[in-house]
Amino acid sequence: MFKKWDFIIIAGLLILSFLPELFFISSNAEKGHDNYAEITVDGKIYQTINLSTHKGIDSMDIKTESGYNIIEINDHSIRIIDADCPDRICVNDGAINSPGQLLVCLPHKLMIEIKNDDPSETTDIIPAH
Amino acid sequence: MNKTFRLVFIGLLVAQSLALYLFEGMFPVPFLTPGAKLGLANLITVIALYLLPSTKDVFLILLLRVLLSTFFGGGPAVFIYSAAGAAMSFSCMVFLKKIGRNNVSIIGVSAAGAIFHHIGQLIAAACILQNAALMLYLPVLSLTGSITGILIGIAAHYIVRHLSSLDFFTARFTSPSAPNNKNSLQKSKAL
Repeated sequence: MFKKWDFIIIAGLLILSFLPELFFISSNAEKGHDNYAEITVDGKIYQTINLSTHKGIDSMDIKTESGYNIIEINDHSIRIIDADCPDRICVNDGAINSPGQLLVCLPHKLMIEIKNDDPSETTDIIPAH
Repeated sequence: MNKTFRLVFIGLLVAQSLALYLFEGMFPVPFLTPGAKLGLANLITVIALYLLPSTKDVFLILLLRVLLSTFFGGGPAVFIYSAAGAAMSFSCMVFLKKIGRNNVSIIGVSAAGAIFHHIGQLIAAACILQNAALMLYLPVLSLTGSITGILIGIAAHYIVRHLSSLDFFTARFTSPSAPNNKNSLQKSKAL
């Protein structure tokens, strides 16, 4: 009933199934779980900034169809220091620096989210069955 | 092969695999990992692969089963996952059966098909959730998949052995275009 090649194929596939594991271990060791600030405008990625390696104070203007936001990156944290949106909620939110935190400027459809390479440090994922 | 016989047989296999698929869905997952399952519907695919002379017919059975199970037991999301799993597992099984010929038995084909089903589903899930880290589930899933695949393969082995000794298959399936069926016939006689 069983044949020799059955076992060879099954064993081979089982060993091959560990490939993603090895791949992730090696790629994670290189990247070292950096935090990224992902700036999206109207759902599209505008810019991604590596916060973990960032030093000093930088500021940048983001001009959208509806207005402008001025962003300041201070070492590992990011905040919106000025905007011409009516409610200025994004400015009042202050600085964010850890994965999962959000800055949102709804009138301008602007969103800044801090993400991390390491899946265990970002928002929880509930697997769909 | 008789046209009516082919139609009826395909219809029967589709109905059976759909029933097995829905039956399986009624049980809570007996394993710890999400995604692990018995793969009862694969039993029919494996049997069809060994009994029907044309691979196209087996593909038809699988396609119909996936479409019908979308209507009966799921939605568009379920369709994407099962279609990805079915496509991977089907191509793997056809390939192995062709390459392996007399070296690989129905058990090896079934187990490899089960493992590739999980690979396909994980790739689909990783694409949908845009998170490649889901592939880390693969070792656990391929382990459970190979175990259930072997068990399904053993069941399929006996079913094919008994079915192919029926008059329908000896009389109507031993056409020149059905060398695989001859093989399984000889096998069953040898056993």
